[in-house]
Amino acid sequence: MRDRFRSALFAVTTLLTALLTAAAVSAHHSVAGQFDTSKSLTLTGVISRVEWINPHIYLHMDVKDQRGDVTTWTLASLPTAMLRRAGLSRESIQGQPGELITVAANPARDETRNLAWITKMTYADGRAIFLTGQ
Amino acid sequence: MTHRSLRWIALAAAAAAGPWMAHAAAQGPRMTPERLQALAAKPTPRLTGGRPDLNGTWDRLGGIEFVRPQRLADGSICILACGPAGGGPPGPAPGAAPSFPTYKPEFLAKVKDLSDRQTQTDTSLRCQPIGVPRIGPPGKIVQNAREVVFLYDDINGSFFRIIPTDGRPHRKGLPASYLGDAIGRWEKDTLVVETVNFNDETWLTDNGAFHTTGLKVIERFRRVGDTIEYQAIAEDPAVLAEPWTGRPRTLWLTDQELEESPRCEDRDMSLVTDGSHHDNPR
Repeated sequence: MRDRFRSALFAVTTLLTALLTAAAVSAHHSVAGQFDTSKSLTLTGVISRVEWINPHIYLHMDVKDQRGDVTTWTLASLPTAMLRRAGLSRESIQGQPGELITVAANPARDETRNLAWITKMTYADGRAIFLTGQ
Repeated sequence: MTHRSLRWIALAAAAAAGPWMAHAAAQGPRMTPERLQALAAKPTPRLTGGRPDLNGTWDRLGGIEFVRPQRLADGSICILACGPAGGGPPGPAPGAAPSFPTYKPEFLAKVKDLSDRQTQTDTSLRCQPIGVPRIGPPGKIVQNAREVVFLYDDINGSFFRIIPTDGRPHRKGLPASYLGDAIGRWEKDTLVVETVNFNDETWLTDNGAFHTTGLKVIERFRRVGDTIEYQAIAEDPAVLAEPWTGRPRTLWLTDQELEESPRCEDRDMSLVTDGSHHDNPR
């Protein structure tokens, strides 16, 4: 009887631990409510402005199309503390003046805006910042 | 090779590397369990009168222990979900299940409802003050014989707490607040901070962990060498089945001074198009 109780307790504990862990892991993918992580887009342009604010920074990127028309995208990213921990600052993430930077990003679920969540930034010299995984 | 030529080589290398390296250098060496152990083994400094000296700026990772940036061989940087990183800072592994308060059965439905609607109900996601104990240990402590002052550079703003340690009682007549009214006392070498008079707009932790205005928080600070052992206990008998002990933290002395928190601007939640959970670990 005691062994059966122990087995049942172990099974329940294991299931609870698995559920809690799964919940915690999935919770880290919170960006999915705002941005469509199943879609990816690539933009190349110049970062004209950095909003170094919390809870997430915003980069404004001027992207020129083949006709020369410029569209300004708003690109959201991580909190300032996380970027600081990685050694980045408002100045360093913007790159050099006029530098063409390529970003991979997830578009906003609200597709009416030129808004996206950055997953990777690649600078002119080839170095990259992987913001949400490689 | 002369010192002068070495200096020029270093300057040239720094210029070639651009601003990234300068900021990376400012980060200092990464914390490891071994380094933490060595810091704890140092002598514990004391003030005149014999109390442990808590003064200093303390690295506590600001609740973002799961962020373990890696610098790659080509100079690239990976910030989140970078795979196994040797020598990461101590703390829970990414995805580790956090501890959660135990509520009386009649309040479980309320917790679930708040958690389910978390993007609407968690005020911390709207840039409001985070409250105690969710704010965690302070980033800087200023201590004298009469009081200690806690300073925080939180994601939601810069905050302070003034804690009398000379026997003054809790102040009366103050409006309830996010950070409450604190008094401190020494139990041997441990500073014990008792805080009451909270409003009920904050949570104890993520996922709907609400509290009432009857909340009392006990925080303990014990300096061990160049580290501080920190733990907070939340007591709210109106809704909690038992006191909730938050996960213990170890802080370490750092020479990286606090900075004013960048402005917190609530513009994210309006973009949420479904009920997705927005994790806010602390």
